[in-house]
Order: sequence, then C-alpha cells, then structure tokens
Amino acid sequence: MRTEPSLRKFYGWFTVLGLLIGSLVVLGYYKDEFREWKIYQRRYFQEEARRANTPQQHQNAQNLELAIRQIQVPDLNRVDRCTTCHLAVDDPSYGGYPQPLAYHPLHEQHPSEKFGCTICHRGQGRATTSAEAHGAIEHWDEPMLPLAFIQASCGKCHQAADNPAAPELARGQQVFDESGCRGCHKLDGTGGILGPELDRVGARRSPEWLAKHFIAPASVTPGSAMPPQKFSEPDLHAVTLFLLSLTGGGAPGYYASMKVIPSAAEGQHLFQQKGCIGCHSLGGQGGKVGPALDDVGLRRSADWMVAHFRDPQSVTPGSVMPKFGFSALEARALTEFLIRMKDQHLSLSLPSLMGPVERGREIFRKYGCAGCHGPAAKGGVPNPNSKTAELVPGLLYVADGYTKAELKARIVKGQREIPAMDPKRRPPPLYMPPWGGIIKDAEMDDLVAYLISLKPKGEDVGF
Amino acid sequence: MNLPSPLELWRRFQRSAVGRSVFRVGLPQSSLERAQAMVSSFVLHIQPAKTHRHSLKPGYSLGLGLISLYLFFLLFATGLLLMFYYVPSTERAYDSMKDLQFVVSAGLLIRNMHRWAAHLMVLFVMLHLCRVFYTGSYKSPREFNWVIGVCLFLLTLGLSFTGYLLPWDQLAFWAITVGTNIAAYAPVIGPKMKYVMLGGNAVGQEALVRFYALHVIVLPAIAAFLISLHLWRVRKDGGLSRPAELDEPVTQVEAPRLPTAKTYGLMELARGTTPQVGADPDEFVLSWPHLIFRELLLFLLVVVVLLFLAIFWNAPLEEMANAIHPPNPAKAPWYFLGLQELVSYSALWGGVIVPGLLVGVLVLLPYLDGKPRGVGKWFAHERIVANSVFTVCLITAIILTIIGTWFRGPNWAWQQPWKPVAAHTEAH
Repeated sequence: MRTEPSLRKFYGWFTVLGLLIGSLVVLGYYKDEFREWKIYQRRYFQEEARRANTPQQHQNAQNLELAIRQIQVPDLNRVDRCTTCHLAVDDPSYGGYPQPLAYHPLHEQHPSEKFGCTICHRGQGRATTSAEAHGAIEHWDEPMLPLAFIQASCGKCHQAADNPAAPELARGQQVFDESGCRGCHKLDGTGGILGPELDRVGARRSPEWLAKHFIAPASVTPGSAMPPQKFSEPDLHAVTLFLLSLTGGGAPGYYASMKVIPSAAEGQHLFQQKGCIGCHSLGGQGGKVGPALDDVGLRRSADWMVAHFRDPQSVTPGSVMPKFGFSALEARALTEFLIRMKDQHLSLSLPSLMGPVERGREIFRKYGCAGCHGPAAKGGVPNPNSKTAELVPGLLYVADGYTKAELKARIVKGQREIPAMDPKRRPPPLYMPPWGGIIKDAEMDDLVAYLISLKPKGEDVGF
Repeated sequence: MNLPSPLELWRRFQRSAVGRSVFRVGLPQSSLERAQAMVSSFVLHIQPAKTHRHSLKPGYSLGLGLISLYLFFLLFATGLLLMFYYVPSTERAYDSMKDLQFVVSAGLLIRNMHRWAAHLMVLFVMLHLCRVFYTGSYKSPREFNWVIGVCLFLLTLGLSFTGYLLPWDQLAFWAITVGTNIAAYAPVIGPKMKYVMLGGNAVGQEALVRFYALHVIVLPAIAAFLISLHLWRVRKDGGLSRPAELDEPVTQVEAPRLPTAKTYGLMELARGTTPQVGADPDEFVLSWPHLIFRELLLFLLVVVVLLFLAIFWNAPLEEMANAIHPPNPAKAPWYFLGLQELVSYSALWGGVIVPGLLVGVLVLLPYLDGKPRGVGKWFAHERIVANSVFTVCLITAIILTIIGTWFRGPNWAWQQPWKPVAAHTEAH
C-alpha cells in the first residue's frame, strides 16, 4: 500500500525533528563529556609521561585514568574535589609549577587526607569547574580566601594570638584589641552595643569590604557612626585578616584539640591561669613553697619539664606539687614558656600581682574603651556635631570632676543623648552605652581606679 | 551486493515468528489492519480506531493536553533517574544537587530537563484549561471530565510545589515557607493544614520527607490514575468536542432496547447514542496513521524544545537552605505569586476567598453553565458573557503574577525591574 499524499509531509518533519533531537543529544553529550577538569588531567598525564625516565614510570604514566578525585573529610562534613584538577598538590617534584599543577607546601602538619582543602582555602569543594570551585559566583557564600589572607584560616582551629606560623593573625588581634573595637562591637560575648556583633563577620564580608570599612566606614555602610581608623598599611592588612578569621562556630573534635599551640605565649597564659605563682616565684614575685623558676630552663631539660608537668611524681618522687592534669600540648606550652624565660625576661602581667590601676588599664583595653576615648584615654576620636569640639572627650581629667562613686555610676548608666553643637544637624552618632551588666562589678572598681589615676602628676589647678 | 533497506529489514522482522508473537499484526497495510493495529495494541487502544477530522485540526486543540501528557511522561522518566542520586535529608539533599551537577554523567542535563518540564507542565495544563473553556468543551456530556481536569490541574500544582522544596536551597526553603504560610491563612483548618503539610511548624527534615513522599509516590500515582480516567472519558464522551452541526450527517442510532430473558454479547450492552462507524466515512479517518503520526510529531517537538532548554539553561540552585537568613523578598513559586501579591493586600482575600472561589467555581463550572451552546468553537458568539468573565479573571491573574514576579523588591515594595536594585545592605 502506498503512503497517502496527505501524509508525505510528515516524513519530512519526522526527519527534521529526528535530526534535531539527534544533534541536541550529541550537543548535550559533548557538554557533559568534555568537562573542564578533563583538560587539566590530560595535561597532567602528558607531563607525567614527559618526565618519565624508567620503563616503569612510563608504564605508570600510561596507566593514569581520567577520574574525579576527592578528599572526604567526614569530621568536617566536607568533600573536596580540588585534587581533580590540582593533581600534584602532594608531589614536591611539582614545586614551582604553574597552577593547577603546583605542589602545596606545608603538608607535613596538615596532610590533605585529614584536612582537605576548603577548610583553609574556602571555595566550593564539591564543584569541578574552576569558576564554581573557586566560588566567586552568585549563590555561593564562601569564595576562596585570597592567599594574602590565608592566615585568617589558622584561626579556625588555633588561637589567634599565639600561632608562630601566623604572625599577621596575631598582629591583627593585637590591633583589634588596642584600637578598642570592642567598645562598640561584641565578640565572643564581650563588647559594646553601638556596632554589629563580629562573631561571624569573616563569613559574611569580603576582604575588600572589611578594609574599606576601617578606612571609610560610611562608604560601605551609609550613615555609619564608626570613626574612620588610621591604620598603617600592614596593620590594616593584619586587622582585616583577623576579622576574616571570625567565621563563627568552632572546629569539631580533633581539630578543636589543636586550639592550643604549644607556644610560649600560651604557656604564659596557662602559667597565670593555673596560679603557679602561688607556690613558685618569677623575678622575685610569688610564693616560696616551690623553687624559683627564673633559671629553671638552665637547670632542667625540656623532656624533664614536660614529664614534670604531666606528673610531678614521675621525675621528682615525693614532690608535694599536685598533678594538674595538663594535656601533652599544655605541658609543652608551659615548658616552652619556662625555656624562653631564661633567654629573655618576658614581662609577666599576673592579675594577682597587679594593683588595681594596672588591672584597670587591662579592663580599659579589654572592653575597647580606647575605641572612642582614644589610646590611653587621651581622646581625639571624632564625633561629628558633638559640643565637645566634635570629639569624644579624653578622660585624663575625670578625677577633677567626679568622685569614684559618681564615675562608676556614669559608666554603669551611660549617656544616650550627647549635646549637639548645632541642633539642626544630625545628632552626634557616638554615645556612651550603659556598661552596667557588661563590665563586672569588681572590674568596674579597678577601671575607675585606673581612670582616676590618669590625671598627670603636679597638675592640681583647673577648677 | 544488494542490501535490503532498514524499513525492509524491519518488515521482515515483523513477519518472522518472533515479530508476530510480539506485534500480532505487522506494519498495517490495509484499512482493516490499520484499525486492528489500534484496537489490538495495549498502548494504542485507548484511542479510537477512527478519528474525526475536526479533532485533527492543530488549530482547534493546539495539542495542549497532549503536550501536558508528554511532559508528564518525561517528568516521570527524568524524575526516576534523579531518584537514583537524591537523598531526602536536610544534610544531604543539597549535596546531592551539587553531585548531580558536578560528578554524575548527564546529571545536570537530567535535572534541567526535569525542572523545565515541570514549569512547562504547569504552564501547559493552565493553557489546556483555557482552551477547554474557550471552546466550551466542558459542557454536556463532558462535565465530569472537566472536574477531573480541574483535579489534575491542582495535582500538577501540588507536584510542582512539592518538588520545589527538594533541592533544599534558599529558593526552595523560602518559597515553601511562603507557600505554606499562604495556606495557613485558610480559616479554621489553615494552621492545621500547614502543620500537617510540614510535619511541624516550620520547614525542616519532616517537611522534606513528606514533600518527597508526596512528590515521588503519592501525587504521581494519583495523577497517573486521573490521567488515565481523563483520557478514557475523552473517548467515552465522544472524542474531542466539536460543533454539533458537524455531527448531523452521521446517523445517530438509538441503541436497541434490550428484551429481557436473553443472553447478551458485550457489544449489545452499549448504551446511549453512538456515531456509527462508516455511516459517514468522509468525516472520520483512520487513527493509524492520521492521528498517530501527528501525535508522534508533537512528541518529537516537545522533546526538541525540552532538550534545547535543558542544554542551554541551567536549573536554578541557590545557597543551601538557611532558616536564619531569609532572602528579601522571599517569593513563592511563580504560579503562586499572583496569590502572594493578593495576600500582600489582604491575607483574607489572597489566602482564602480568592483561591477558594476560584477552585469552587472551576469545579462547579459545568453545572453552573451547562447549556450546550457554542460547544466546539473557539470564542463562540453564544458564549460571549462567559468568555468575557473568564478573560477578565485570566488577565487579572496574569497581571498579579507579573507584578509579583518582576515588580516586587525587598519588603515587597514596588520596584522597576529594569532599574538595578540598590546595593544590598544587610540588616544586623
């Protein structure tokens, strides 16, 4: 039977659509099959073949297969496929190669199978295209951290201040503390209320945003009350880096246990915290029950000291020193501290040995009062349109105007309304928040003592 | 050497013992065989052996129902493939999306096809509904098939809405949060309904599992059943609607009144009036090939369009769902944005009265407007009132949806889509 003429046209359409489907399937297959990472893997195979010298190496290079490679780190809930393209991260012979084939140094302490990549570098570990993996795309919260800021990631597991491998991070924290950022911003529950909390700021903001925000706050947050900061270039970088390290949430399990780096600074911290000074003395200060420790680093080996901290009886039978239960890392930190004591006399600031004025200075620092009242309370921070010469007043002469009780009450209550120079202009943006309930009562006494002490000696005139 | 053509090889295979055991009849050669091919094949028998010429006019039905059906098939096939990788857990759902995109062969393509087919199905089911309305095809004897169709329309929305949550990204999470909040505006049962849908008060693991079960089993099973019923009734109600005058030459035969005390053959039990096959051969043509070819052509066309969309446009996937970080504005899926826009004026109107009335009137429509006038013609003059009212409602819905989609910015404030949105500043 012949095809009816009215149906002939269908055969043409079937052919056209069939061919269209065929070509679309081929196109879809092409897009799917020729993925970006395969290019990089082939390049690596070629390089391996080129470098092969022995027949065995040739054979190995021939046997390489195209495959997605991934590092699974269940504890960190991460699957990092970075090594799909960065194939030579663990091969030192690829040192100095251009990306993506470069070798990654420093893997002795942070082996990739235990850490993966994105826990430090950020980015999108599951992705297998460079744009998506590096994460600078819409709808991905964690773009890769620029290498200049990579020390920020050390803060994820380690304490910021005492990591010898991350000096910029430590400096950043120092700048943060000294500049009084906490006067307005809360971090880890300590700080003022004028600005936003900073606990997760490093996960929300880009390095560019953070740097701009220090120099010209109003340019990124219109109407910001924050006084512009005058940081040196390295300090700006360091404090930006420190903020980037604040991503909130601690590292889990094993990674958290690495918080303490056995450094002298951590040892000093422990030394103060555990009250060693009650029995031992340093620089003539402290108890007399145990031996003085000024030159213990000359008398004892490091191993002896570590063993001593873990269990005093084990090296000094009959010792009256209790077993404090220091971890191995803590014992090493204390040892480090005591060894360093012999080289250079670290200045010890032990709260128990300090007078109220010194403690007060620490509290002034801890709560970031300098952020508004200036370093050493000397003032000079701009507060546009305030009656006090458009500056936040310095505190050098509070002893002349307040009794201790009055000053304390003033800090507890704060002052919401700051008198304006020109009532028609925007009211002064900075004000004194109520610190009652934030600064503890005992701390308040020390702080007031410090502030009263600020008045320069021999200047009794004035009022 | 003279090789036989592929077609010839295929014919030989069909004539072989194996071929005959599979196909019963070969590629039909005569009119008889063509009719037999339709009747004896399980796949084809749901369609009549002969089809009215009017039903074949592309300009009449526009193939909208058929396109919806094809999309349903394609969704079924691609959805099954996606199920091999998808894990309905809040911890792994989003990761399985990423794996589909970055690791699974053709994973992204399949997901794109599924996503675009889902949107297209909602669109084409709506268009199909409009076509049936504008041609008055819901009137006697097709009243109940219209009701089934409305149910299928709601099921399509339900399927799309439940699937919307599964990627577990910000888009999914907040669209479902907004969508279920709209449902909670219903009086008395609203809050309970939301609670039952989500398995709690907020979108979480329980909601994800519920939506998953609904999406992959419950709703598709109900939809498949209702689609079968819908198609069955299209046939039993006399095929696609057509103007009554076209049927006049056909001799309508009253089925014989059955005397009692007699055993009957199945054919004798047919009731009502039936168009007599052969009474007017000019108006009816054999379904094979006239109907089948057209259907196949349309299927190919749907596949081409879907592949094209899926290859060149990726399905959206935003950041992982984050319950403490709502986007501003959070928007429902596009087919509910008209309702969301209404809710922004009045929760009672947008959440209760309008959707309630819409569904109620749609379901009852053939019983409210049952006079069989203007059936089988687009925009029949006799139906000018009904068509006008429907058009006004339709345009209102479209305008509301357009406003909700493009003209609403942060805090649901008016925005002009062609103007760049002011730099996004986070609230602390």
